[in-house]
Amino acid sequence: MPARLRRLLTFGSPGVALIALLAAAAALILWLVPVAPREPTQFWIFAKQHQAVYRDLLVRWNRAHPGGHVEMSLVNGAVLDQRLLSGFLTGTPVADVMEVERSIAGRAFTGPIADVGFVDLTERLQAEGLLDGINRPSLSPWTSRGHIFGIPHDVHPVMLMYRADLVEAAGIDVRQIETWDDYFRVMAPLRQDLDGDGRVDRDLLNYSAADPYGTEVLLLQAGGAIFDAAERPCFDRPGNAAILARLATWLTGSHRVSRFADINTASGQQLIVDGLVVGVMAPDWLAGTFKQQIPGLAGKVRLMPLPAWQRGGRRTSVFGGTMLALAKTSRTPEVNWEFAKAIYLSREMATALYRSTCIISPFKANWSDPAYDEPDPYFRGQPVGRLYVGLAPHVPERTSSPFNMLATRRLANCLTALVAYAEDRRVDEPAALEAEAQRQLAAAQREFTALIARNVFLSAPP
Amino acid sequence: MPPANPPPRPRAAAARLLDLLVYALLTGCAVVTLVPFAWMVAAALKNQTDFFTSVFLPRGDGFLGVAWDHLTLDNFRRLLVELPIPRAIVNSVFLSAGLSLLATLFCAMGGYGLAKYPFRGRAVLTTLVLGAAILPPSLLLAPGFELVWRLGLLDSYAGFLLPGLTPAFGVFLFRQAMLNRVPAELIESARLDGCGELRIFFQLVLPLVRPMTGAFIILSFLGTWNNFIGPQLILQSAERQPLAVAMNNLRGVYGTDYGLVMAGTLVSIAPIMALFLLLQREFISGLTAGAVKG
Repeated sequence: MPARLRRLLTFGSPGVALIALLAAAAALILWLVPVAPREPTQFWIFAKQHQAVYRDLLVRWNRAHPGGHVEMSLVNGAVLDQRLLSGFLTGTPVADVMEVERSIAGRAFTGPIADVGFVDLTERLQAEGLLDGINRPSLSPWTSRGHIFGIPHDVHPVMLMYRADLVEAAGIDVRQIETWDDYFRVMAPLRQDLDGDGRVDRDLLNYSAADPYGTEVLLLQAGGAIFDAAERPCFDRPGNAAILARLATWLTGSHRVSRFADINTASGQQLIVDGLVVGVMAPDWLAGTFKQQIPGLAGKVRLMPLPAWQRGGRRTSVFGGTMLALAKTSRTPEVNWEFAKAIYLSREMATALYRSTCIISPFKANWSDPAYDEPDPYFRGQPVGRLYVGLAPHVPERTSSPFNMLATRRLANCLTALVAYAEDRRVDEPAALEAEAQRQLAAAQREFTALIARNVFLSAPP
Repeated sequence: MPPANPPPRPRAAAARLLDLLVYALLTGCAVVTLVPFAWMVAAALKNQTDFFTSVFLPRGDGFLGVAWDHLTLDNFRRLLVELPIPRAIVNSVFLSAGLSLLATLFCAMGGYGLAKYPFRGRAVLTTLVLGAAILPPSLLLAPGFELVWRLGLLDSYAGFLLPGLTPAFGVFLFRQAMLNRVPAELIESARLDGCGELRIFFQLVLPLVRPMTGAFIILSFLGTWNNFIGPQLILQSAERQPLAVAMNNLRGVYGTDYGLVMAGTLVSIAPIMALFLLLQREFISGLTAGAVKG
């Protein structure tokens, strides 16, 4: 070994030398393949599936607008949240146009209306006649104190996805089902102990007290709410306690019908594949997820409108949502607006999005898209898009309160406590649980009223 | 003359039996540890349908009841050809190797200064360094982000490397190593022999703390390689993002292609495993340095 090299290795080792070599080689590659300069208009998205849908449209947009090129970046949702709030609070750079998920968007509505970092689109939407073309309830999560800050990306109506193969094998006719009571009664033969150990293995509904989203879906469907139209907490409003009491009996006691298979995990999906859960509350995006992720269920599942809470009641709910928002700090506001319309109003985008993810458009003009009528072999030939579009006008309105995520989790805590109460006292009937439910909700109400009162911007009259 | 086959002494037989038990236990533990890894390899070689129908390799009529023809390298092909993973690997190597080398050098210098140079305020400075090491990194995200932005370094490699050059933890670690392993007399005699300060540091001091260097370099490399939130905040262009970020982008909001993610995970851990094998002696001796007082 040459003396110089030996001297070099006296304070290092072959491993350190290798790391130095790797650093030098990587630096050389990066120097030879430089990063392209950034386009003037930045567009952040957080969903990989959206990236594939927008790619062609973006290429065409950039070709047609030499002075208004847009660059799309896929940003992790948590990081988008950090960058967005840092940008709004301290002035660090944010994208010009961005897709924002509901849980993040609400947090940006926390302060005075004038300080919200998104452009107020209310007047533009009205002036260009776009407002009436949008499914009205789909605007609610993006509307704060009467101002619309985003164009809805979706509607996300919820249906019930059920194991048609099991249902048919048991000779069950789902046409008898209109309400949840019907559903649990008609499907009861499927609730079985499959391994003979004396415990029920297969349950009728994918739901748990620890699932705040499921509880929100069911509460909204039943006409309940935890925020009123003025975005004030209303945990203790009439009706919420009865809903919670009924949900508790689905989760415990002699009427128990639910078990939880987390749809976001492989293990949860495996439970559904194994037929241990008969029905799953499925927004349109989840139908797409199942198609992509669990090809083994093709032809084994079908969709039906959510069973109603009472005859003639609402047959759907809503779960999730994304908006397209424009940043106030952008130096290209007109390009942003034109670009936003070009992608979100596009029939081509709506079709591509539906084909790739099953997500239906919130723009009523797109609802006549023949793609929505195509029979889907995954769901035994059902025209999935048309089924969801049929429910779109009936999705419940939602709050845009920045406290909604927190409040939804608090509601789940109320339900968990109620289930524990029912188990301790062996209470089976919803009516017997209502008083305790009301007590839990009143505590949550006091807590949230105090919490929101500390935010002077939201508690003060507008 | 001793007998040709002396009977085993009871003590040696007991020791051998104990060894056997220990090895059996260790083998069991190793198998348990390797099961998730085996699952990951199997998942990377399966398509999405087989992912849900078999725990490990897809079941079929082939040898050992495995459907060998179902195994596919498609996940790796998509990863390396269709997705920007190769560029992300180069970024990761550059950031991890560059930062670990530079951070090790600067931390060693800082630690040496605090340990061996008497100056006014040294105790206060050491306390400050220790205090900074206690701060949770997530607390520094927002101010760090703003600082990098104000320096005009957002979306640049420098913006990511600069804040990580002298971590307080590293400075303190090297200070302790210098106190334990570098005798003041040695430095004094080198000075008397006319050795310059830089030469003393590079030719005398660094070789003495070589185990710590190896351990810190691998810790630093691992930390940067696995760092997700930092690069996501600072390196905003997709072309500059490292493997941890690119890997996260494989997970969709509406669903995850598990085979692809597992293939990506394999690709991302392979360099780290190779590096650990190369540096394991330094790593282990660095971690145990000072554990036994000689």
